[in-house]
Amino acid sequence: MKKQSAILWTMFSLLLIFVLSASKPQVEGQKIGGKWDVPAEYKAMKNTFASDKSLVDIGKMHYTKHCRSCHGNTGLGDGPKAKNLKTFPGKFNDPKFQAQTDGELYYQSIIGRDEMPNYEAKIPEMEDRWALIMYIRTLK
Amino acid sequence: MKKSITILLLSFFTLALFAQEESTVAEKVVDKPVRQPFESAYLIDNQTTYIPYVNTLEYVIQHKFGTVENGISDLFGIYAPGANVRIGFNYVFFKNVQLGWGLTKNNFTNDFNAKWTIFEQTRNNTFPVALTLYGVAGINGQPKDYFGKDYSFMGRMSYFGQVIASRKFNEELTLQVAASFSHFNMVDRTLSDFDKVGVHVNGRYKFSPTMSVIFNYDQPLPLLILRNKDGQNSSPNVAAGIEISTSTHAFQIYAGQQSAILPQNMMLMNYNPFAVKNFAIGFTITRLWN
Repeated sequence: MKKQSAILWTMFSLLLIFVLSASKPQVEGQKIGGKWDVPAEYKAMKNTFASDKSLVDIGKMHYTKHCRSCHGNTGLGDGPKAKNLKTFPGKFNDPKFQAQTDGELYYQSIIGRDEMPNYEAKIPEMEDRWALIMYIRTLK
Repeated sequence: MKKSITILLLSFFTLALFAQEESTVAEKVVDKPVRQPFESAYLIDNQTTYIPYVNTLEYVIQHKFGTVENGISDLFGIYAPGANVRIGFNYVFFKNVQLGWGLTKNNFTNDFNAKWTIFEQTRNNTFPVALTLYGVAGINGQPKDYFGKDYSFMGRMSYFGQVIASRKFNEELTLQVAASFSHFNMVDRTLSDFDKVGVHVNGRYKFSPTMSVIFNYDQPLPLLILRNKDGQNSSPNVAAGIEISTSTHAFQIYAGQQSAILPQNMMLMNYNPFAVKNFAIGFTITRLWN
């Protein structure tokens, strides 16, 4: 009986460690990305597709295909590839992140820098790019 | 005079404004194509109506192992002899126009292929389906002796032409139907016909953000046999599997009843009757660069 409960406790502890480590969004040693130097022309960019709310679904499709592997299902920076990055991908539910202009998010998502790749060739249509920003806006 | 010029100018600008408004309205009602009806240009043994963006290079490796008939002794065909492999490259030169080349192990066949999506399905059903033309020309690369005494280069040639229609019903389900015509310039008349008409049904059901169930059914039909009506009718091809896709890769693993990879070989030279022992495991990997 004692042996059984010891096994159960060990299993429970292991499970707890697994759950805690899995839910921890930032890997030890990863640096936090510095401030983005967004050019003025991007900062001032307006989403010309904002009125078409159906684009959120298309944005989700692009997010799943191109962003999810690093940024995670809900934008917490906990995707399966995030651990391999030197810089933490950030949390999209951070109010500071969401307070940025659409243009700033466009620059960070599409133009990129360092480990954040450029997506101009992979997402060539402007409508698709703004659809992606619209979906990122939902990850508050 | 001045008054008339002012009225004329005002009328012109008013008209221009109306025209601008009309063009804005016209722009608003443009019915745009649906996005990502498929994750890849390949769906097991068939092409999809999907063509990547212009200037994209696609690399593909298709591999089919031996049949599962020997069970665990050759790990369900994975270590069996008789595997077939194709390596190919496709490039999108213009919007929805793709040209490709590939080399298949069986008969060392070089193939040159072209795909044109004439129109894409649109979001508001102006075009309720996407329509694609696909064509392949194969060159059998076996030694001259294989082709008998009256060797001619044209005897190496085989062709496949297909019309494909697809519809994305929702974010999860996309289905395709297609009709094809295959032709070989030279065949073993005791086994095969020169021509074969076929119909194809295939599709995908996305059950997670990156994974889909995929299936494929190809039915050769005993129609339009222009020469040699003594050949065996080839068997239908049934296959099903799983597709996993990422930003630049699609990985399909499946079990199917075909060792051929080129579609004309598949439609004319599949004599395996439908049976579990005739199934073989296969996979396709595509990688995109742009």
